[in-house]
Amino acid sequence: MLAGLSTNLGLYLGLSAVFFAFGVLTVLTRKNAVGLFMGVELMLNGAALNFVAFQTFRPGTHDSWLHGHVFSLFIIILAAIEAAVALAIVLRVFAARRTIDPDRATELRG
Amino acid sequence: MQLVDFFTLLFMLMGVVSAVLVAFHPNVLYAAVALVFSLLSVAGLYGVLGADFLAAVQLIIYVGGIIVVILFAIMMSENIYRARFRDAAGKFVIPTAVAALLIAGFLKLFHDAKLETRAGLNAIPTTEQMGRALVGPYALVFQYVAIVLLAGLIGAVVVARPHHGNPESEAEKK
Repeated sequence: MLAGLSTNLGLYLGLSAVFFAFGVLTVLTRKNAVGLFMGVELMLNGAALNFVAFQTFRPGTHDSWLHGHVFSLFIIILAAIEAAVALAIVLRVFAARRTIDPDRATELRG
Repeated sequence: MQLVDFFTLLFMLMGVVSAVLVAFHPNVLYAAVALVFSLLSVAGLYGVLGADFLAAVQLIIYVGGIIVVILFAIMMSENIYRARFRDAAGKFVIPTAVAALLIAGFLKLFHDAKLETRAGLNAIPTTEQMGRALVGPYALVFQYVAIVLLAGLIGAVVVARPHHGNPESEAEKK
């Protein structure tokens, strides 16, 4: 029953769609700046998983460069940068407002 | 049933369950722990897909680094153990519908795409090929990412540093 499960591209794409959708759901519903950040991480992971899956199941000609892997590596690096900047912003907002609830840090709202 | 199929099923179930928990658990600390498991499942799927270097990078940077940053940020927020980080249940309706529509749309897209697949694992280990790609066709992108990393680190330090002359910071000191 499970034979061929690991060589089914659709399963990986479906899983990355699930990751992306639940990341969107997390961003939309969390009442916490860190929660929003976790949703963004989920979305980035779904996208990176897509790159690696397509690299493994690439049809047609293939050269020796691991294009999908390199793009996933860049996604991970940019997520690390984003984590550093997001933590800095959260620290500042917490120092100024004593809260990291995005609904209560509304000074920049027009 | 091959061992690799078993591990694929295991990691996929782990990923789906932990993604649901990240979105729906009322306590943000437990949601972060669930996020650890979803990142671990992605690392395992990288391994199944033959991306051994990426699996290691995922473990080191995400599970080892970013999760620590997230947990550190959560520790600062007040009332960690009280489930007050979520809206009323009624406010979940529209976002859940959006997420369900997203999943359905993606699945229909993948179903209709008639994707031609050819299962062929690349040579393992992939480290040498990754290194050659980073100094070959992707050398310029690699430099750009390095500049972005530097700018991001400087920006994080500048933002997180106490601002002297800012009346709010002065008020905090007193």
